[in-house]
Amino acid sequence: MVPCIEARSLTLTFTPKNRDPVTALQGFDLQVSKGEFLSLVGPSGCGKSTFLNVLLGLLKPDSGELSLNGKQIDGPGQERAMVFQEFGLLPWRTVLANVELGLELKGVAPSIRHERALDLIKLVGLERFQNHYPHELSGGMKQRVGLARALATEPEVLLMDEPFAALDAQTRDLMQTELLQIWERTKKTVLFVTHSIEEAAYLSDRVVIMTARPGRMKNVFKIDLPRPRDYEMRLTPEFNDIKAKIWNTLKDELSGKAAGNGI
Amino acid sequence: MNSAERRRAMAFKRFYAEYQRLILGMVSVVGMMLLWELAFTYVIPLNPFFFTKPSLIAEAFKQQIVSGSLWHDVAISSKAFLLGFGLAVVVGIPIGVFMGWRRRAEYTLDPFLTALYASPLVALAPLLIIIFGVGLTGKVALIFLLSVFPFIFNVFAGVKCTDRLLVNVVRSFGGREKDIYFKVILPSIMPYIVAGARIAIGRGIVGILVTEFYAASEGIGFAISRFGDTYRLPDMFAAIMVLMIVAVGLTEGLRKLETLVAPWKVGQEAR
Repeated sequence: MVPCIEARSLTLTFTPKNRDPVTALQGFDLQVSKGEFLSLVGPSGCGKSTFLNVLLGLLKPDSGELSLNGKQIDGPGQERAMVFQEFGLLPWRTVLANVELGLELKGVAPSIRHERALDLIKLVGLERFQNHYPHELSGGMKQRVGLARALATEPEVLLMDEPFAALDAQTRDLMQTELLQIWERTKKTVLFVTHSIEEAAYLSDRVVIMTARPGRMKNVFKIDLPRPRDYEMRLTPEFNDIKAKIWNTLKDELSGKAAGNGI
Repeated sequence: MNSAERRRAMAFKRFYAEYQRLILGMVSVVGMMLLWELAFTYVIPLNPFFFTKPSLIAEAFKQQIVSGSLWHDVAISSKAFLLGFGLAVVVGIPIGVFMGWRRRAEYTLDPFLTALYASPLVALAPLLIIIFGVGLTGKVALIFLLSVFPFIFNVFAGVKCTDRLLVNVVRSFGGREKDIYFKVILPSIMPYIVAGARIAIGRGIVGILVTEFYAASEGIGFAISRFGDTYRLPDMFAAIMVLMIVAVGLTEGLRKLETLVAPWKVGQEAR
């Protein structure tokens, strides 16, 4: 396996106005292989999303190193694209125009980006809705648009920040399976942030458990379940064993955090 | 009831459901006019020096149209209004965007502009006429001054409400400052611009009237004050009605414009 993303002792502290500084990441290390599906799981506020934003290039770490294919990350770049939890669709643009956004910002000619966007809209199964506006779509459809938009720029790394958290349970299950199918076809490197152990275990090659704030890597679980995976697999004892193991590790962090907050 | 009758009844119901707003609105306006007319014809004796009634206003209106004096006055005032209002759009929107997006610009300009917005700028009318004279320039200056602030402050508020997530989305795909202005801020402030325009229209019309009352030799405001001075009340009301119609027309036009520039917003409200 070729290392793709390498984070070494990343530290990032936020200093909000009139409030105490918050250390979101402290000495965070991580290696991700090319083509790997890796999930980050941890208590709320442990810096999972912060790490994705650093990787995306929207936030700069105070110290530490973060590289992609051996090159230092310094701002956004077209090898990375994010699927946002709250979709982040431009409400004044149709599905088609939203999917074109990344290509448009890259300066791709209209006819080419049009064609490319249509391909991806087809990939996520929204061809009948290309001229709809986001407010006319359901949550699941919106996130399909978000996924198509991210894939349109042909990134090497797909960053997903709790992409299905805002969806209802059934849509969520459906989207997970579709994501796996798309991933298996496109072979992107995926970094997936979630609160759901089940989701992480179902989708990932490896699941990284993070400590409560400040976030560090606590434990890594390799998920050796065969691929392609389907919904049935989630009912097997092996899957439940893995879930239980992950839960046991995560539990301490959650209770530690609760004690720290005096809950 | 046979089927043809039933179909006709259904069609009528559907027609009514669709145009209910329009029908009821017209009923209320026409009803008020009728009441006004009947009251001064049968109940209250009309003293033409103090009041008038719709039939007399309609007559005066017809004569003004025929003589062409109405068109002339409307054209004179419209020109001043369009220039002043257009200038307010062109100047107000960039200032508002700048203030909303750049904190230093906000801190520097805000006290000054807030003071101006809050103060009764019509008080400046005499000064503006001294500086710019009785003609077009003075009117344009006052209309501009009155109508620029709603644009500035609405756009400012709109920029402040810009969804940070969308800014981050554009940034994450490699968008630069220019892209954030044109692909996020500008589309998202469109409804705010329209809302600002609605307030600005009212203020701009006040601007026309004040300058033309105060010093002018033509224009709709001048006509109103001249008819008032000479106790030609039906003529005066006819001129006022023209102003009302224009104001309503502009406001309605803006409502249409809003659905045009922000269909997503209208869609959200309908939910």
